[in-house]
Amino acid sequence: MSYQIVVCGGIAPDPLQTLEPVPGPALKNEMMLPHVFDPWAAHALYEAGHLAKLNPGAKVWVVSMAPKAKLQQVMMTVAQKLPFELVPLDGPPGGFTDSADVAEALAAAIRTIAGLDLSRLLLFGGWESATRGAGTTMQRVGALLGITEQFLAVDQLEVRDGGSLRVWERLEGGRQQVSLCSGLPAMLAWATGHLPEPPNHPPTGMANGRLLMPALQKAKPAPAGAGCTFLDVSLPKQIRQTVIVKDKPAAEIAREIVEWITQ
Amino acid sequence: MILVILETPISKAGLESLCCATKLGDTLTVGLVGAAAQEAANSIGGCGARFLAVEGEPYSVSRYATDAAAAEALIRASGAALAIAPCTHRWQRALPGVAQRVGGAIDTHAVDISPGSVRRWYYRQRIEVTLARAATPWIILREPGSGDPWQGVPAQATVERLDVTPPATRTQVEGIEAQAASQQTIRPDAALLFVAGAGWTKKQKDGAVRTSEASELILQFVNRTGASLGSSKSLVDQSGEGQAVLPFLTHLHQVGQTGSTPRHRKGLASCCHGEEPHVVGWRFVNERRAINLDPNCGWARGKADVLYVADAFEVLREAAKALGQPGAD
Amino acid sequence: MNLDADILCVGFGPAMGGFLTTLTRGLSEEGLESAAMPGLPPQVICYERADDISFGVSGVVTRARAIRASFPEFDPDAVPMAAPVTSESLVYLLDPHGASRRPAMLRAADGILKIAAEHGAIELPYIPGFLQKHDGFVLSIGQFNQWAGQQVLMSGLAQIWPSAPVSAPLIEEGRVSGVVLAADGAGVRGALTVVGDGPYGAAGRRLDEEFGLPEGHVRDEWAVGMKLVIELPEDTTLAPGTVIHTFGYPEPEIFGFFYTHPDRIASAGIFVPSWLENPVRTAYRYLQHFIQHPYLWRYVRGGRMKSWGAKSLLESGRRGEPFLAGDGYARIGEGSGSTNVLTGSGVDEAWLTGTQLAEAVLVLLREKKPFTRENLEATYVARRRTSWLERENLVAEKARNGFARGVIQGFLGMALAGFTRGRLHWPSGDVKRRTLKEYYSGRLSPHRIVEIQKQCAAAGISLHDALMDACGWPAIQYDGQLLVTHQDALLMGGKVQAPAGAEDHVLFRDAVLCEECRQRTCIEMCSGQAIHAGETKVPAFEREKCVHCGACLWNCPGNNIAFAAGPGGFHSAEN
Ligand SMILES: Cc1cc2nc3c(=O)[nH]c(=O)nc-3n(C[C@H](O)[C@H](O)[C@H](O)COP(=O)(O)OP(=O)(O)OC[C@H]3O[C@@H](n4cnc5c(N)ncnc54)[C@H](O)[C@@H]3O)c2cc1C
Ligand SMILES: Cc1cc2nc3c(=O)[nH]c(=O)nc-3n(C[C@H](O)[C@H](O)[C@H](O)COP(=O)(O)OP(=O)(O)OC[C@H]3O[C@@H](n4cnc5c(N)ncnc54)[C@H](O)[C@@H]3O)c2cc1C
Ligand code: SF4
Ligand code: SF4
Repeated sequence: MSYQIVVCGGIAPDPLQTLEPVPGPALKNEMMLPHVFDPWAAHALYEAGHLAKLNPGAKVWVVSMAPKAKLQQVMMTVAQKLPFELVPLDGPPGGFTDSADVAEALAAAIRTIAGLDLSRLLLFGGWESATRGAGTTMQRVGALLGITEQFLAVDQLEVRDGGSLRVWERLEGGRQQVSLCSGLPAMLAWATGHLPEPPNHPPTGMANGRLLMPALQKAKPAPAGAGCTFLDVSLPKQIRQTVIVKDKPAAEIAREIVEWITQ
Repeated sequence: MILVILETPISKAGLESLCCATKLGDTLTVGLVGAAAQEAANSIGGCGARFLAVEGEPYSVSRYATDAAAAEALIRASGAALAIAPCTHRWQRALPGVAQRVGGAIDTHAVDISPGSVRRWYYRQRIEVTLARAATPWIILREPGSGDPWQGVPAQATVERLDVTPPATRTQVEGIEAQAASQQTIRPDAALLFVAGAGWTKKQKDGAVRTSEASELILQFVNRTGASLGSSKSLVDQSGEGQAVLPFLTHLHQVGQTGSTPRHRKGLASCCHGEEPHVVGWRFVNERRAINLDPNCGWARGKADVLYVADAFEVLREAAKALGQPGAD
Repeated sequence: MNLDADILCVGFGPAMGGFLTTLTRGLSEEGLESAAMPGLPPQVICYERADDISFGVSGVVTRARAIRASFPEFDPDAVPMAAPVTSESLVYLLDPHGASRRPAMLRAADGILKIAAEHGAIELPYIPGFLQKHDGFVLSIGQFNQWAGQQVLMSGLAQIWPSAPVSAPLIEEGRVSGVVLAADGAGVRGALTVVGDGPYGAAGRRLDEEFGLPEGHVRDEWAVGMKLVIELPEDTTLAPGTVIHTFGYPEPEIFGFFYTHPDRIASAGIFVPSWLENPVRTAYRYLQHFIQHPYLWRYVRGGRMKSWGAKSLLESGRRGEPFLAGDGYARIGEGSGSTNVLTGSGVDEAWLTGTQLAEAVLVLLREKKPFTRENLEATYVARRRTSWLERENLVAEKARNGFARGVIQGFLGMALAGFTRGRLHWPSGDVKRRTLKEYYSGRLSPHRIVEIQKQCAAAGISLHDALMDACGWPAIQYDGQLLVTHQDALLMGGKVQAPAGAEDHVLFRDAVLCEECRQRTCIEMCSGQAIHAGETKVPAFEREKCVHCGACLWNCPGNNIAFAAGPGGFHSAEN
C-alpha cells in the first residue's frame, strides 16, 4: 500500500546540555545550545522510514516548526538517516509556546502539501515534545484534520494484510493496550517504538538535500504565542546533601540497604 | 463551576483529581464516562457534586473517538470553565483533541492546581513552571500520585445521563497486555524502584563480563523486595542492539529524559552513573540511594541521599542473604 | 567523468568557513553554471566529521583581520561568546609547589623573580609586538563556526553535512577526483576537492602520503591544546575581553591562556607540546594545576566548569606546509601549514586561506578553466604567496631559528633576559624524548619508579597521577564544580559520544611494537582516557570516550597508531 506518512516533530536542546530559564520565559543561550530532532518525534520518524521502506511507493514528509537557522542545522543530520521531504515552518524557539498555536500551524502546513490525500493520511509524531513536554500537540493536529482514530504513546505498529493497523499503546504500570484500527486516516503519537536510530547514509542526505535546501529557504514565519501568563519559571531546587559511604564491607552495606527498604 | 471528568469504575488517580477539585472552592460537577455510571457515582456520592454521565458499552473502553465524544458532551453540557481529569493515558490521549474541538486550553502533568493557576514541568522535568490562563474552557490533567485521594463517604447519587450518539470509529480495542509480574516494568504500586545501569554488563575488576550472574542477582533482588525494575538507557539500548544482555529489560524499563518518570517513594540505583538525562527521570523519587564503584559518579553530586561506593555484585549477593527466602519482605 | 557535485569540501573549521562564505557570495553571480547539474548554480557539498558544525575546539583570541575583511561590519554581539579584546597581559607563572621540572638555571632565576612576584607570577612589562591581539576579539570557535555555517546554509548555495567523516580523498590516475565517505566507503566525485580538515584530518594526511611534502618540509612539531570553559563566580572582577597569556607553569615548556568572554565566561587552557620531555604527559592533570595557580585561582575559584575540550595543533607552521594545490584539489587551513606558531594564531590565518581559495575558484569558474594544479597555483597559491599570511609565517619560520629549542625556551629566554637585563638567558641544547628514568632522575629513584609502575599495573590504572603525586604535585581536591575527575569532564557541556555500530578509528598497527613498548605514552597522554591498558599488552581503545583530539597520532614514539576518520566526539558548542 502506498502510504502517505506525515511526521510532525520539532527540535530540542541536546538533552545533555544544562538548561537555565531566563525571563521571557526562554532558555538562556537557547540558540547557542546544540539541538537535536525532538527524541520521541525521531522515533516516529524512524518508524515512518521503516514502514516506507517496506512499502514501495510510500512517502514520508516531515513537518517541522523551529527557528529556521537552527532547524536547518539539525536537518543536516536527520536528513542523512532516511528519505523524506521537509515542510519547514520558521517558528519561535523553545517550549514556552502553546500547543494550540503550534498545532494550528502544523495542520495548515499539512493541508498545503501537494498530492497529499488527507483521507489516507498516516499522521505520526512524538507523544510528547522534549521542550513543552505536554503531549497535546498531535491530538490537536489530528482534531484539526478531522482524524478520529488517534493513538498515544505508541510502542509498536503492525500493518496487517488488507491495510488494517494493530497498535500497541503504552499505559501506566508497564501495560500495553492493543487496538485494531481498520483503516486510515489515523494519528499515531509514538513513544520509543522498536527501532534503533538508523546510521547516517550520506547519499540519502544528498538526495534529501536537493529539496531540503530550497524548502528551508522558503520557510514561512509561523508565529506561536504562549497562550498563558507565566507566574514562575525556575529550576527545580533538588540538590541533596549526598552522604558518600566508602570502605564499608558489602555485607554491612547490604544490611543497611535492606533495613532502609523495609522501613 | 468545575467539571471533574472520570472513568468508571473510579481509579485512585480519579479520586486524587476529585480531591484536588474539591479544594478549589467552587461548585463541582462530576462527569462520568463508562459502561454504567450509577455505582461509580454512588461511591463518591458524598462529594456533593452534580453528576453527569455518558454511559454505554462503546464508552466502556479507552478509545479516542468515543472518549473524545463523551468528554466534549460533558464539557458542553456542564458549561464548566474549568475541567479537571487525571493525567492517565486515557485522558491524555482524548482531552487535547477535545480542547481543540471546544476551542479551549489544556495543560497536562499538573502537579499542583490552585484557583487560577497550575504548576507543571517543562523540558522533561527540568524546568518548573507556574502558569495562569484566561482561555476557557481550561482543561487540566492532573498527574497521578501528586496528591491525596478523595476519602469521603459513598452516598446515593442522582445521575443525569447525556444522550450521546456513539461516534463512528474504526478502532476496536483488543485488550491489555502485561508482562509477567517478575519482569514487570515500572509498577507504580511498588514501594521501591530498583534501577539497573549499564555497569552490570561492563567488564568487572577481574576482567570478566558476568552477565548471567548480573541477571540472577537483579531478578532475585527485585523478586525478594517486591521492587519495581527500572533501567538506564545505555543498558536497554544494548538489549536493542541484539547483544542479548539482560534479556528481561526492554525500553519500557527506561527511566529518564526519554524514558519514564516513575513515582516510587524510594529508589535504589545500581551500576548506573547518574547522568543528568537519566536522573531527570527520578524527579518524583523522594529517597534515593545508589551503589557505584566510582566515588565521583553523578549520584555523588547531590543527586542521591546516600552513595555506597561498592561493587554492586557483592552488595546484591549479600543483600540476597540478608533478605533470605522469597517473600521474606 | 560523472560528477556528483562541483565542489566537495572536507571539514568545516574556520578555513572552510572563510571558503564557503566567500564562495557562496560569488556563486549567485550570473553565468556560473554547475557542470554536475547543468542549469543549476555550481553544487557545493561540505562534509564535516563532528556531529555538528559547532563542536570545534580552540582558544580563541584572534586579530580577525581576514574575518573582518569578510564581514566589514562584524559585530561581536551577533556571535555568542564574542567580545573585543579589552586588555592583554603576558605572565610568567612561578611554580608554587616546586613540583615542576625546572632546570637549575631557571630555579635560580625563579629565586630572584619571587621577590617581585605577586600572586606567584610576574606580569611582563611589555608584550612582544607579534603576540599582541589588542585590536582583535575573544571568541568561542564553536559559536563562531556555527554563526558562519548558518549563514552559508541560509544562502542555499552550499550543503554542510555534519557527522559525515571523509576517510580519504578519491585519488584516480594521480589526480584527486573526489572523496571517499567513511560511512559507507562510497566515492563522491567532484571537479574540485577542498581539503580543510585541520591539522590531522584523514584526507590531508592521505594527500601527504600520496604526494609527499615539498623538499625540506616536515611536520614534526605538535602540541595538544586542552581547555576548560568556566563560568566565573558572580563577583568576578574580570572584564569581557581580558586576555592573559602565560608561560612557566605547570611545566616550563607549557604555555597557557586565559580569555574572558561576555556573561562571566572564561576559556582557560594549556598547550602540551611534543617537545615536553616527560613521557607521561597528561594534559588534564596539568590543566587542573594550571587553573589552581594562585595568579588564576583568585579569578576562577568558586566558578563552575561548563565545558571542556582538547585538540592537537600542528606547530610546524610554514615548515610543515604541504603542496597547496594539485590536480583536482586544494588545501586550506591549519593542515596547509597556515598556523602562525610565533603569534599563537591559527583561526584568522585559516579563514584567510579559505577566502583566498574561494576568490581563486570564482575566477576559474568565471573563466571556465579546469581545476588543474597549474590553474590553482596561478590563482590560489599566488594569492597566498603575496598576502600577509606568507610574510608573517616566513618571519615566524625564521624567528624560530633564533628560538633554538622551541618557542617556550625562546619566550622564557626573552623573559629572563628582559627581567635580568640580559644577565640570564636560556641555555641551548637538543630536544629528546626521555625515558622515565631519565626524566625523573634526581627526583625519583629508578627503584621507586619501578615500584609505582608495578602498583599501577596491578590496579589497572595509568601512571601519570602516581608519578606526579610522587614528585610533590598536590592531589586534586575535587569539588564537583570546577575540579572534576577526568571522566566527569567527558560529560561536561554535552557528553562525548560515539554512534553505535561505527568502526574504531584508533587502531594499533603493529601488536609486536606495543608488546615491546615500555613507555606506553599513548595511555598516559590520552586526552579522553579512551586508551587504557587492555587484556593483552596491546592497549585497548574505547570509542565512547575519544574526543578526536588527535594527540595519540603524534605521541606514540613508534608511530604505531593509525588514526582513521570516524564520527562522534564532543557535544559541546561552547569550546
Ligand atoms: C537524547 C538522549 C536522551 C537520553 N535519555 C536517557 C534516558 O531517558 N534515560 C537514561 O538512563 N539515559 C538517557 N540518556 C543517556 C545518558 O546520557 C547516559 O548515557 C546513560 O544514562 C548512562 O547509563 P549508565 O549510567 O547505566 O551507564 P554508564 O555511563 O556506562 O555507567 C555505568 C556505571 O556503572 C558503574 N559500575 C560498573 N561496574 C560496577 C560494579 N560492579 N558495581 C557498581 N558500579 C559499577 C560504573 O562506575 C559507571 O558509573 C540519553 C542520552 C541522550 C543523548
Ligand atoms: C586549545 C586551542 C587553543 C587555540 N587558541 C587559538 C587562539 O587563541 N587563536 C588562534 O588564532 N588560534 C588558536 N588555536 C588554533 C586554531 O584553533 C586553529 O588553527 C584553527 O582552528 C584551524 O582551522 P582549520 O579550519 O584549518 O581547522 P580546524 O579548526 O581543525 O577544522 C577542521 C575541521 O575538519 C573536520 N575534519 C577533520 N577530519 C575530517 C574528515 N576526515 N572528514 C570530515 N571532516 C573532518 C574537523 O572536525 C574540523 O571541524 C587554538 C587551538 C587549540 C586546540
Ligand atoms: S601505541 Fe605506541 S605508545 Fe602505545 S603501546 Fe603501542 S607502541 Fe607504545
Ligand atoms: S584516543 Fe582519542 S582522545 Fe585519546 S588521544 Fe587519541 S584522539 Fe585523543
